[in-house]
Amino acid sequence: MNRTAGIVIGLAAGAAVGAAVVAAAGPAERPTAPPPVRRQLADPAAAALAIPSPERLSDGPDVTRWAHVRHAVAARVRPLRGARVVARIRARTPEATVTAVAVTARRTGPDGRLWLHVALPVLPNGTRGWVPRRALGAFEISRHRLVIDLRRRRLTLLHRGRAVLHAPVGIGAPRWPTPRGTFLIRNRLERFRGAPMYGPVAFGTSARSPTLTDWPAGGFIGIHGTDEPGLIPGGVSHGCVRLRNPDILRLARLMPVGTPVEIR
Amino acid sequence: MSDDRLNLLELDVDGALAEAHHGLTRAGFIVAAAGAAVAGLAATTGEARAAIPASDQDVLNYALVLEYLQAAFYTEAERAKALSGRPAAAAKVVGAVERAHVQAFRDLLGKKAVGRPHFDFRGVTESNEAFLKTAVAFEDLAVAAYKGQARRIRSRAVLTSALGIHTVEARHAAWMRYLNGNLPAADAYDLPRTRPQINEIVASTRFVVDRPQSASKRTPRYTG
Repeated sequence: MNRTAGIVIGLAAGAAVGAAVVAAAGPAERPTAPPPVRRQLADPAAAALAIPSPERLSDGPDVTRWAHVRHAVAARVRPLRGARVVARIRARTPEATVTAVAVTARRTGPDGRLWLHVALPVLPNGTRGWVPRRALGAFEISRHRLVIDLRRRRLTLLHRGRAVLHAPVGIGAPRWPTPRGTFLIRNRLERFRGAPMYGPVAFGTSARSPTLTDWPAGGFIGIHGTDEPGLIPGGVSHGCVRLRNPDILRLARLMPVGTPVEIR
Repeated sequence: MSDDRLNLLELDVDGALAEAHHGLTRAGFIVAAAGAAVAGLAATTGEARAAIPASDQDVLNYALVLEYLQAAFYTEAERAKALSGRPAAAAKVVGAVERAHVQAFRDLLGKKAVGRPHFDFRGVTESNEAFLKTAVAFEDLAVAAYKGQARRIRSRAVLTSALGIHTVEARHAAWMRYLNGNLPAADAYDLPRTRPQINEIVASTRFVVDRPQSASKRTPRYTG
């Protein structure tokens, strides 16, 4: 007999014996000692798991929804196959990571298919378009938010609306301004070689330089370290956001890919 | 009501599973399950964990993987906001419970808890019909999986917990079956499923996928 079956049969037998004892003795002749059934049964085992209360979701203003791009797809002005193409999204970034896009709305098209409104990594910055739901992978959420204040030359990382990191930054020189808007952290590069000007870690964003349009790999704006920490804070870059290396390392410990970036 | 027997092997919502843009799902899930076994055999710390045999920790980690799967499914269904009526309400209630199960397993296992796999439900959370079919299959699967592990559990405290969750999963299964138009309690006796059987069924769905690559060692070419 296996152990579980033994326990079940033991319980049943104990219950039967207990019922018989109660029926035979009656309430007036209740023994002072514990009835046999109580001695035969083991104490109820304590549960190993402490199950907490059901955990409700808390989608608030601090939650950003995003998804990876499953395959190259045309983004359209309306949620309709055949509508004008706004831009084409590639599945891979220039750094060979999977493209990530922020999802801002969803709608069922006239054909009954689900479409998602996404922020596109194209110029002009802020362009959005509709893509079929199936072109994107699973929904991800971010409870982080990175705010870059160009006037104060200061970066703040928030988690669930609470600031968890502040750091001074270098931003674009007047000739190559850092673009304003809301973007997404798309990837993270580290342990790369031959580029000390980027420091130990570099994050790629969906923002693009409006002036350096012929820059290799599309002129994407990064957030990275530096080999010239004395220039921070300042308006010194080609549009990227530079941090001192200790600060970019702290940021790298706290900020996941998919974090929205507000540059203001 | 129909009494159709549903399982994940039969699921293919609008052909989404057959498209298989993300491969390696089956292997990924089996690796996760193997990881659970390794983690479970390791030494543990903490009073609660210390009292649990290593083989039971293995079972707990296996259950945690299934709870991750269910919690992720209902969470995505709720966040997608594409369901309506009773299925939407049920997803909210059941999802909250599955997340509580995940939390409980993680609390108990501590650092020995297996990590959360990455899931892609390929659109089955975005229509009532597809959601309910999948939910019925998931809940029936969970009930069979818990039952399948009962004979392996040595600790009475773990068995007590497993039974407590097993009956909750059975209630979820009945609820989803009712909403889907299936008989909530079709049979007089439910058969257990072994771990390899469960792994094979889950892997066949391709819902467990490799985490998309978002990090690289490539030299940046940002504007600088």
